[in-house]
Amino acid sequence: MIAQLKEHYQKSDNSILYLCVLYYIVMSFITPGFFSLGNNWNLLFNLMPLVIVSIGQTCVMLTGGIDLSITSTIALSSVVGASFMSSDSGLGFNPSVSTFIGIGVMLVVGAAIGLVNGVAVTKLGMPAFMVTLTTMMFFSGFAVWLTESQNIYNLPDSFLRISSMSMRDVPIPVVAALGVMLIAYFILNTTVIGEWIYAVGLNVKVARISGVNVDGTIISCYVFCGVCAALGAVLYTSRLETGSPIMGQNILLDVIGAVVIGGTSLFGGKGKVKWTLFGVLFISLLDNGLNLIGLSYFLIMIVKGLVILFAAILNVLKERPSLAS
Amino acid sequence: MSLLAVFFLTSCSQEKNGPVIGISFETLQAEYWVASLESIKAECERNGASYIESVADGDANRQFEQVSNFISRRVDGIIIAPKDAHTVIPIIKAANKANIPIAIYNRVPVENSGEYITVVADNYEIAKSAVDHMGRIAREKGGEYKAMILIGDLGDINAINRRKGFEDALVEYSDIVELVAEVPTEWNQEKALAGVTNALQANPDINFIFSSSDFLFPSIVSALKNLDKYHPVGHEDHVLLGGFDGDAMAYKMLMEGYLDVDGVQDVHFECVEAVQSIFDMIEGKEANMRIRDPGFVIHQGNIDEFAGRMWGADFASE
Repeated sequence: MIAQLKEHYQKSDNSILYLCVLYYIVMSFITPGFFSLGNNWNLLFNLMPLVIVSIGQTCVMLTGGIDLSITSTIALSSVVGASFMSSDSGLGFNPSVSTFIGIGVMLVVGAAIGLVNGVAVTKLGMPAFMVTLTTMMFFSGFAVWLTESQNIYNLPDSFLRISSMSMRDVPIPVVAALGVMLIAYFILNTTVIGEWIYAVGLNVKVARISGVNVDGTIISCYVFCGVCAALGAVLYTSRLETGSPIMGQNILLDVIGAVVIGGTSLFGGKGKVKWTLFGVLFISLLDNGLNLIGLSYFLIMIVKGLVILFAAILNVLKERPSLAS
Repeated sequence: MSLLAVFFLTSCSQEKNGPVIGISFETLQAEYWVASLESIKAECERNGASYIESVADGDANRQFEQVSNFISRRVDGIIIAPKDAHTVIPIIKAANKANIPIAIYNRVPVENSGEYITVVADNYEIAKSAVDHMGRIAREKGGEYKAMILIGDLGDINAINRRKGFEDALVEYSDIVELVAEVPTEWNQEKALAGVTNALQANPDINFIFSSSDFLFPSIVSALKNLDKYHPVGHEDHVLLGGFDGDAMAYKMLMEGYLDVDGVQDVHFECVEAVQSIFDMIEGKEANMRIRDPGFVIHQGNIDEFAGRMWGADFASE
């Protein structure tokens, strides 16, 4: 029986979801306040920006790349967008217009950084790790330089309401995350470019010989990832009512951890939108539960680090046979 | 599964009666924060309360999420050392909405309509008094002085007030002390080291240094040692040194005679008052909503009298 369950767990697409459910049930019994409507809402709200950013990262990782610059994309989008919207900037737009322009600018900043990454990876043939590490440093520094390390306040109410407003009783962050997931699902599962993404990740040389537009595919993924990071920045900035040059500085581990825990291959070619959703759910549940249980900060870091390391090892072990072949 | 078992055992061992206080710190980067967190936890325990703690590692968004977790758990009170004066506003709003008393520790929020307790040292007066004492020493010794200040994160109101205290104190000594270098550190030791090294190269005659936080002293000491300018009080090449906080390094430097003056925050007072006020609010009593720590200045002349009150002394002895 246990062996059958184990086999099913290993083969199942939803193994992380089962783990989440198990973790949720156990924590509900042992952690006061964990199983409550308030905490479930809280979990949902904390989940959404991370889902959006992680979906973008998934697309890049499916091509065999990685985008380490998402943190600087979030930071730069946040301060540039906030600068356009802040009443301190003196641009004099009315609040609704400035909100519209601000969000647009944030998304353009994200797309532009993604474009830089994609072009550097494809046209210059540089390793994704090096390119995005460099752009992370450059754009993080640029955000700090641009703002002289100052936060940007006095954003319009119409922007601040984004994180708390609902559309037909569904909160905007949930709508945004669902939208991104649906778009990613649609692209990956029903379009030619989705097939190209998987093909590039599985074997770039074979893909190129087969007529896949490799460069275009990779660039599109980095641009999509940049836009997702910028959309995450919209939600984070709205929630904190502040544009910050260090926003999102510490979420890289959570994002990559969530994607890897979900099961997306570090080597490309394998991964699904729902896997990433489960990975993010697991990371968020872990954070939430550890926080509520009252473990010390250092212990939480150790546990999270171990879980992500364990997931990465499993990921590599699963890939090893296919790598060998 | 073993992970879940650990959580289970941990949570069982933590079951306690009495109020639960959520303690959220933005960082534990400096000793001051570690001392404060430990002191608040000890004070909670002394009052029969249990606590849950979180550290946001410098990330305001993470801190917002962590406090939201506290609120969803329905803690009885929240004590938060926020990232800055602005990003704490949504957190105050959320706590007020949930009717949970909240105390803001060490950083005063910008003006807002929320209901909250603030506990903060009088950064301006303590810094001004410390620098004033440095000025008096300079005047007694005679000669002319070139001054440098290490500034904290200018998004932090405490850093701004300490800088203002420094500048206002120097006005009285403008005939003998000239400010030649302001080093922005953003509360970062590496930036401080680079900034101090550059400033000392550009102005090798700097002989009057004030650090807006004691945790930046390792950077100053390192830069001074490299230039062979780190000498104890009384040495002819001694650089006048002043600091702010009262941490273990400052305590040791004072005791060894390298540090002239230190403005000290009374951590014990701040933590006791923060916890007491939260308890008053929980019990529906009238609470002291604006708690100001007057702090004190310690120097080579009153070291015997005040050294025992310096919170860094406990860390130094460990």
